Amino acid sequence: MNNIPGRKILARISKTGVGGQLFSLLLILILFVVGTGGEYISIRNIQTILGLAGIPIIIAMGLHLVIVLGAMDLSVEGIIAICGVLTGLLLRNKITPFDIGFWIVPIVMAAGAMIGWVNGALNTKLRMPSFISTLGMSWAFFGVAILISGGKSIHILDDRFQRIINGEIIGIPNILLIAVVLLVIFQLLQTRTKFGRHVYAIGGDEQLAKQAGVKVDRVKIISFMIAGLFYGLSALLLVTRLSSAAARIGNNTLFPAMTAVAVGGVALTGGIGGAKNAALGALIITALNNGLVMMKVIPYAQDAVNGLVLIVAVALTIDRKKLGFIK
Amino acid sequence: MSENILELNNIVKTFPGVIALKNVSMSVRRNEILGLVGENGAGKSTLMKILIGLYQPDSGEFLLRGEPAMLKDPDSAMRAGIGMVFQEGCMIPNLTVMENIFLSHEENFRKYGLLSRSSMVREANKVLSAVKLHVDPNTLVAELSAADKQMVEIARLLWLLRQYGQENPILILDEPTTVLLREEVQTLFEILTELKKSASIVFISHRLEEVIENTDRIVILKDGEFVKEMPSHEADMARVEGLLVGHGFSDDRYHESDQNEPADEIMLEVKDLVHEGQFAPISFTLRRGEVLSLVGLIGSGKEEVCRCLSGLAPADGGTVAVQGKRAFIRTPKDAIRAGIGYIPVDRRSDGLALDLNVEENINLLVLKKYQTGPFSNLKSEHQNAKFWVKENNIKTPSLRTRTANLSGGNQQKVVLSKWLSSSVKVLIVDHPTRGIDVGAKDEIYRRLRSLSDEGMSIIVMCDTLEEDIGLSHRMIIMKDGAFVREVPCPRSEKPRPVDIIGYVV
Amino acid sequence: MSGEPTPAAGEKKPLLVNRKRQFPAIYFALGLLVLFIVLFSIGNKGFLSAYNVRNIGMSASILLAVGLGQVCTILTGGIDLSVGGLMSLVSVLFMVLLPMVGYWAYPICILVGVFAGYLNGNLLSRVRIPSFIATLGTGGIFVSVAYLISPVAISAPKAIQPLLEIVNGTTFGVRNILIIGALMFVGFLVLERYTIIGRHIFYVGSNVRMSWLSGLNVTRIKNVAFSLSGFGAAVAGIMLASRQYSGYPTIGTVYILNSIATVVVGGTAMTGGAGGALNTLIGAIIMSVLQNGMTVVGIDVYFQQTLLGLLIILSVAVTFDRSKLAIIK
Repeated sequence: MNNIPGRKILARISKTGVGGQLFSLLLILILFVVGTGGEYISIRNIQTILGLAGIPIIIAMGLHLVIVLGAMDLSVEGIIAICGVLTGLLLRNKITPFDIGFWIVPIVMAAGAMIGWVNGALNTKLRMPSFISTLGMSWAFFGVAILISGGKSIHILDDRFQRIINGEIIGIPNILLIAVVLLVIFQLLQTRTKFGRHVYAIGGDEQLAKQAGVKVDRVKIISFMIAGLFYGLSALLLVTRLSSAAARIGNNTLFPAMTAVAVGGVALTGGIGGAKNAALGALIITALNNGLVMMKVIPYAQDAVNGLVLIVAVALTIDRKKLGFIK
Repeated sequence: MSENILELNNIVKTFPGVIALKNVSMSVRRNEILGLVGENGAGKSTLMKILIGLYQPDSGEFLLRGEPAMLKDPDSAMRAGIGMVFQEGCMIPNLTVMENIFLSHEENFRKYGLLSRSSMVREANKVLSAVKLHVDPNTLVAELSAADKQMVEIARLLWLLRQYGQENPILILDEPTTVLLREEVQTLFEILTELKKSASIVFISHRLEEVIENTDRIVILKDGEFVKEMPSHEADMARVEGLLVGHGFSDDRYHESDQNEPADEIMLEVKDLVHEGQFAPISFTLRRGEVLSLVGLIGSGKEEVCRCLSGLAPADGGTVAVQGKRAFIRTPKDAIRAGIGYIPVDRRSDGLALDLNVEENINLLVLKKYQTGPFSNLKSEHQNAKFWVKENNIKTPSLRTRTANLSGGNQQKVVLSKWLSSSVKVLIVDHPTRGIDVGAKDEIYRRLRSLSDEGMSIIVMCDTLEEDIGLSHRMIIMKDGAFVREVPCPRSEKPRPVDIIGYVV
Repeated sequence: MSGEPTPAAGEKKPLLVNRKRQFPAIYFALGLLVLFIVLFSIGNKGFLSAYNVRNIGMSASILLAVGLGQVCTILTGGIDLSVGGLMSLVSVLFMVLLPMVGYWAYPICILVGVFAGYLNGNLLSRVRIPSFIATLGTGGIFVSVAYLISPVAISAPKAIQPLLEIVNGTTFGVRNILIIGALMFVGFLVLERYTIIGRHIFYVGSNVRMSWLSGLNVTRIKNVAFSLSGFGAAVAGIMLASRQYSGYPTIGTVYILNSIATVVVGGTAMTGGAGGALNTLIGAIIMSVLQNGMTVVGIDVYFQQTLLGLLIILSVAVTFDRSKLAIIK
């Protein structure tokens, strides 16, 4: 009981703020290793999990910034839809004459950021609650995406991206490496820049932050823009991974992203949690779903499990004092 | 260089229906600790808000370092060298101590584009040592004790004022000692004495002993007027108390002449009611038609007693009986069922459904009463509302007007009507005249008086001692969570506030 | 600060403050309706034909059913995102039960809906999870259960089609589905105006703290609101399955947003406490007119979604009570 070295390690882990999440990951690992007779932790499967987790990690990282702010961003699917279609039309394809190659990267990020700006503007200038405005925007953008793409898939002929994304370096999927690099940059942004700390200040107490001189409106708009940027990037990856762009690639990305953010320990009430939490949460959800698939659990029971996990994760991380009477 | 760093001359500030400050003149000298005292509503906070730029005076002169001060907001005040630590504090709980201190001024610590934690820590330590606080700057504010939080607030203010580099800055501290223990208070005053060498401090507190002991000068406000200023070494408790509360009663302000004897029937019996950490076991009774006033400062426990009686917070022990029947009160619903009603202090935000109209608000507590079968009888509800609008003189274009559109005073009357409509036998009234203009105050006093004549038992907590004495038949004084004394306030022999205040502070 | 008279901003007139608040959202909604009807009839003469009007009515009934349920939750200041999943679940359950237990399928499915709603209510009021997260989660769970019951669409075999006449048949020449819609409307209207529990929903939505201080059982009221939402979703699910002669797990997905749109476009404020059955009726008609009209006039199906999204934003911008929230999140 008085295992001193063990205690020290435990203390260090809990200090990082992701102790609970690492513990859950461990539990999941054990559960599925037993359930699949060891196949779960084969090199092949670990690589699969890591490869699958890359894009959800990026989406979750974008989303969590807005949540730490204390707002909500339900426009994930809409923005991915429109950025995906945009990517399909600007890279070499059969429909349009464009062939912009690697320029797509800054362009799609800019597109995502611009749409994010609209979200931010609706929230700060028109004083619309982000929950409803981003929901409405998601539909609007999705519709525009369908309109532009004519409702059809666009086959992408430029396969350079696909090779990069599906490739790997020393066994680690490239897509995960991209996610990790973004993670490091994001963490730096959150802990070592004025902007990053201001996001936490607003999430902690918006009125006090404003009183102290924090430029709340500006921080909010930038946060929505960063989120949009990340969604745009993930749209690019989603679309080029399959070499096919369609408005529906955004479908079913919001729910896993929200669950990932909550499971990772980012409180819905704001002010708590960082990029590493979002990333870890996405990893856990991916690992969980991979395990469920391996154990041949009925596909739609998986939805139930995810639904349950979301509810539990939120119940555990929410700061009830902040919510007063729960709406 | 004049002695006065700051001068206020004949400041007048009014709000709709109220004159908050009537020709108040005051000065703050260089290198002094000035104590500001006065009851609730005396005008202290209005005055300070003018100093920090939150309010603009309607007329009068405000000179800072000899020049007219143009403070349009707290930011300009800070730049001019005036800052305030509010009672509620303004620390953001999920940020660390140093992040709070340097909030929105982080650019001072940039190295190669990123914030340098080490230089922030170094500067934070410097600032914290000035207030003799030894906490790790990386601690989350949420984890600090109330006392430490207070000191960090002061440290922050100091740092900000130093940033703007004004000569002899002015720090205003609003009730800083409420959350401090005795030793911590000592430390605070040591720090302030040190600080005095290069700044001035305005110290607001209701703890008269403390103020007399530790300040250089005292300014007393009462009812929005400047009463007196004196050097602290010439002050003594009795004298200050007397100036604070005034001397006697005049003009039948509280309709004391109409005060009648309550009946003999005991409506409320409270025995050994206790709430751990809030108040010690207390017992009292209340007769039919009697007005009982609970008196005490913040922390005396009077508010918590009312919370327990009205179901806002559950008591830990003791019994409550209404008309002899035992009541188990854990929620407001229990209290109401037992016959105890509670009119909240913030009547607009806690007493009304602003989206709904006058009728609907008045009838909330009696919906069940006006039913035919399983359905509501809107006609009888309408009659009920009509009755009360007339009875309480509520000015509204129609019963269907949304309460959001009524004036503040009329909104209060709607709330009152709601409770009077119901069948509560004991009414707890939380600061009945707070936020009410002078004209409406009289109506309230008259209403309370007639209510008690009609047999309603009332527990009241007032803003001023005078009001407490004037309105009630009896007074219970509490201090530091315990019962101190019961004082009768009969019609013919109202005690003077100055006699009572000694027990209160 | 204690003892401060609270200065009411801009309060000059003793009686009326803030004229703007007096503009009832319902006129905004009616105005929209008239506008759309005019626009569409210009666009296509067949828009106002008896056949088309009846179509509009029938789809409006479904929207009305689920919308009336949804408005109960929105009136309390919450939201029910599980209606889509619940409708799908009920549609599948309904189709499965009809051959087995005949007409009993109707009450069973409705009870399932009410119970599901009650579950949502408890997650909110007892476990303290914000409604939009709780219902997001339970919605997913309901869909899963629907898939578990039947991964593929279940069609109604000829033998049980007569049982669907409750919705599909006619009574005195009027389509039953319209009658059911009308009955639901009347029922909810009575509930909100003449019953205590219905009126309590408004008090809670307007000021939950005040309601608690005044002795209202807020937990119970919220549970009832969400149970009503479950009821509405169940009825809508039965209607939908009857009309399509089949039930499948994605039949209700589009109604998540459609039900919110119906409520919001009709003028009910998401802040709670204002709006109600009448607003929802108008909202259902507007939505139905809009969807029917856009199709009749030839607007792309997916672009319709875009317009819908923008319409929701517009409606909320107009009806949202900003004075209720000091900070807009």
